[in-house]
Amino acid sequence: MNPLGLLVVGAPRGAAAEVQTLLAALPRGLSVPVALALHRGAQELLVGPLGRRCPLPVVEPNDKEELEAGRVYLAPTGYHLLVDRDVVVLSREPSEHGQRPAIDPLFESAADTYGPAAAGLLFGGHEDGWAGLQALRERGGRAAVIGEGAPLEGIERVPLSEVKVWLARLSYAPRMKAQP
Amino acid sequence: MSTLTHGAELEALELELLLEGVRRQYGFDLRHYSRPLLLRRLRRHLREERLDTFSALQGRVLHDPEAMEGLLGALACPPEALFSDPAFLQAFRTRVVPVLRTWPSLRVWHAGCGSGEDTYALAILLMEEGLWGRCRLYASDISEGLLAEARTGVLPLPREEDVRNYQESGGRRALADYYTRDGNWAVLHPALRDGVFFTQHNLATDASFNEFQVILCRDTLLAFNRSLASRVHERLYESLSRFGFLCLGRKESVARAPHAAAYEELEDTGRVYRRSA
Repeated sequence: MNPLGLLVVGAPRGAAAEVQTLLAALPRGLSVPVALALHRGAQELLVGPLGRRCPLPVVEPNDKEELEAGRVYLAPTGYHLLVDRDVVVLSREPSEHGQRPAIDPLFESAADTYGPAAAGLLFGGHEDGWAGLQALRERGGRAAVIGEGAPLEGIERVPLSEVKVWLARLSYAPRMKAQP
Repeated sequence: MSTLTHGAELEALELELLLEGVRRQYGFDLRHYSRPLLLRRLRRHLREERLDTFSALQGRVLHDPEAMEGLLGALACPPEALFSDPAFLQAFRTRVVPVLRTWPSLRVWHAGCGSGEDTYALAILLMEEGLWGRCRLYASDISEGLLAEARTGVLPLPREEDVRNYQESGGRRALADYYTRDGNWAVLHPALRDGVFFTQHNLATDASFNEFQVILCRDTLLAFNRSLASRVHERLYESLSRFGFLCLGRKESVARAPHAAAYEELEDTGRVYRRSA
């Protein structure tokens, strides 16, 4: 069994409203932390609007804060958000794909640290995040793009309305063959 | 086991060996740097050096001190512009400077100064607030290469945005008063350049070198893991005089530092702490 250890979500600015819908659909007793990288400008306040409909607390973490299950960690403006074994890592590295926070750093660090226990959800529409999704898959994690239709470049698509089911399925994943 | 998992494990092993080699050959202990950041920066460094593996990088670094300097440069965060954080400087002006005015002399330490942009912004601020004459400003970094850049006092010519930031930070003159233009470069006024003592210092391993009334260590500890950051905090505490000010980055906190209880946060300043015990 690879119980889910972390959910990472990445979204371009245009998907902010859909992110809100996604957060609202998260189960109250979610057994993993959620790390969220949403493209944003310097002055934007997001914790309030994003947290309003989300049953879980939405926070902008400090560097080296512990990742706790059932909380949503939003990348602060001006920093990349990464993860390291249950700990938040913030970085002032330059923008990637013109963004800071960017999605790739988060997804790649989740792939490195959590491997098969990481799951990633990407809202498409931007070039940022695809390399990270690929990294998640290469390390055995689950990766999906939000949307309808057939798999995109080999990556599963999940309609926004079915994310809850997708998550539930991950949490009760049957034993897989490729276990060490 | 799949070959890809194998690849990840091999990479982890190569990284361990590289870090061990760097430590034994040069004395730089990077083992307690934040692992995700280290991985990303070193992977990017590999791409830029057109190398395929950390083993290849290790080979080069062990035999060539310049390659080691290149590696340290790759670990440093690239410079931000002059006055890149006007909100902090504004808070420093209004909340810290009035206290500093009441002290006869000042030692200020900027730890992790990189190529000096923030150091010079602070120097300009201290000058404008009439504190420059009684102030000694020390700036340190692990990288000699970056320090050499900082010492030149030559920066990319400030853009419009930088001028705006300077004004937002409470700047009282024209930013152009502080430099002479040379093409696309700004050559800072010698009084600024010569008044800063740039010195090589490794926060991770070197002892405290003085006692200071103000320490700036902003976003520098992001590069370290928890245990190392905690050890560095110990050193910062030892280096800060009682009632002195510790200025951290906007998303850093002393909460997990060994002497957390000895600090009081100044409200609405971002992260400026005052040592009270």
